[in-house]
Amino acid sequence: MGESFVQLPEEGFVTRVIRRKLQLVASIAIISLAAAACGGSSDTSTDASASGSGVSGDVFISGSSTVEPISVRVAELFESIEPDVFVDVEGPGTGDGFQKFCAGETDISNASRQIKDAEAEDCAAAGIEYTEIKVGIDGIAVLTNANNSAVDCVTFENLFNLIGPNGEGTTTWAAADSSLPDAPLDIFGPGAESGTYDSFIEIVLEDLAEEAGVDATTRTDYNPSAEDNIIIQGIQSSDTSLGWVGFAFAGTESKLLEVDGGDGCVAANADTIASNEYPIARDLFIYVNNANAEENAALRAYVDFYVTEGLDTAVAEVGYVPLTDAAKDEVRAGWNG
Amino acid sequence: MGLSTIGDNQVARRVEDEIFRSGRDLRGTGFRTLMFSALAVSVFILAVLIVQVVVDGWPTLSGRFGDFWSGTLRSRSSDDGLGISQGLKGSVWIAAFVAFFSFPIGVSAAIYLEEYAPRNWLTNTIDIAIRNLAGVPSVVYGLLGLFLFVKTLNGGQSALFAGGLTLAILVLPIIVITSAEAIRAVPSSLKQGAYGVGATQWDVIRTQVLPFAAPGILTGTLLSLSRAVGEAAPLILVGAITGRLAARDSSLIDQLGERFTAMPIIIVGWVRNSGADEGFGPAAGAAIVVLLALVIAMNSVAVLLRGYFEKKRG
Repeated sequence: MGESFVQLPEEGFVTRVIRRKLQLVASIAIISLAAAACGGSSDTSTDASASGSGVSGDVFISGSSTVEPISVRVAELFESIEPDVFVDVEGPGTGDGFQKFCAGETDISNASRQIKDAEAEDCAAAGIEYTEIKVGIDGIAVLTNANNSAVDCVTFENLFNLIGPNGEGTTTWAAADSSLPDAPLDIFGPGAESGTYDSFIEIVLEDLAEEAGVDATTRTDYNPSAEDNIIIQGIQSSDTSLGWVGFAFAGTESKLLEVDGGDGCVAANADTIASNEYPIARDLFIYVNNANAEENAALRAYVDFYVTEGLDTAVAEVGYVPLTDAAKDEVRAGWNG
Repeated sequence: MGLSTIGDNQVARRVEDEIFRSGRDLRGTGFRTLMFSALAVSVFILAVLIVQVVVDGWPTLSGRFGDFWSGTLRSRSSDDGLGISQGLKGSVWIAAFVAFFSFPIGVSAAIYLEEYAPRNWLTNTIDIAIRNLAGVPSVVYGLLGLFLFVKTLNGGQSALFAGGLTLAILVLPIIVITSAEAIRAVPSSLKQGAYGVGATQWDVIRTQVLPFAAPGILTGTLLSLSRAVGEAAPLILVGAITGRLAARDSSLIDQLGERFTAMPIIIVGWVRNSGADEGFGPAAGAAIVVLLALVIAMNSVAVLLRGYFEKKRG
């Protein structure tokens, strides 16, 4: 026992000294790094071996998690022709994205809605000028079971009565809304953490809730799920189910209800969503920092690629509704002009 | 003689029978059953979790593990380049930060508190403060990291060193507490014996206290390392990337100043994506299995090291 006590501490002591030395080295390295990183991120060294136009540099994108997959897909496609451009994308949400964007921390802000006045004022106060680019459309499909022949079209009022807070506790369609058939009501939809949930409330429920003097939210006694395929499964499980998911994820197993937003019943399909006829749809945007685009050739090249190849292929690939050709031309003219 | 031996045996057997007779100690049996079911429930839940995750991740683990290991964050799960290399890199860096910053500082602080510091209201307050810090929700450390490292030190850009330092601070109180407990458990007779033969305080700490406390200190520190590697919430606040992280070919030192991601963050992102793109489900399962394996490996090292030092201690 005594012997081991004499040996051990020597080892422990030496390791500790080494660790402290390493710690010192590491802290010096980190402090110098931090200083270097403050200098800014645009690296303009050119590399002749690039296969594209040879631009190089960093692009940083934040904002909506709904738009995030489009920007990521565009970056992946862009990377194959411009290997020296490094694009990082995060998706904390549209609001958080604009906060960073108007603080000058990001080059592009993804947004699942247009910039709010308050956010635009923040940007103006910080001297940040931007270009708004519409990149695609996200429709929200209202679903029921394919066997449900009693209902073909729902109005916003129907949806508010069925899914809004006043529907709390009702177990049949008729109990929630007397104009609807007397059949069991099983509701499936995304949970409150989802952008689709927010959009549904914003587009369908908000105005009616204000009129009725209730909170703009859904009833609490529906079956929420973060996974679209679980919602679809739920729709299959009952003949008179009701639910809503992003149009891209609606699939073919369920019946897509027509929706009347005040101008008659409109079926949900890529055409009606692209033409804004279908009432439950929202435009998806990116906002580009003009000054950064001026300075950073990599950012310019990325957005050039976004409005051409991106709008043509990436938007559809990740499941959103692409713009019509006319709308694409308008977007391209807006960016190039 | 023989008769009395038989008698003794009989007495012993009867006493034994009486003690362990079923129904004699009903409340004891009930208590034992209760304790056993508590253990069974914990083990069952753990087993279900592990089986579930392995089953979920199996398509990825068995099908394309090599690519998965070396791949990067992608927009679609069908992409052959999808993988966890960036998350692994980030998590290993975080572990390195904890090892280089939290271990030396935490253990040193514990030694000072237990061996040198006088016992008065100030040290008592510090002691209580450290204990409370260990219970502070990890998001709060994320906020601290966001303002201290990202906003103040790095001009608003998230960087690997910010994530590493944030988690190093997060586990610091845990390391101080566990190390202090281990040091406190050193028998005072051991120290007094050393003082008795003329050792100085430095000698006593170096030759008696630290070797005796080493297993406990090590276990605590390595468990805190596992904790740091598994944390997601503070990293989300300091800006770990879920969407896309460019595959830069930068040196180890450059990486410290670049944006980063980590295993728990990748898992959060993929689980979120699995709603829109089912293929992310197996990918997330596989990533969880890898993270679990990493944490279990680190805990096993803790167990082995503890055994090693306990044997040395004799």
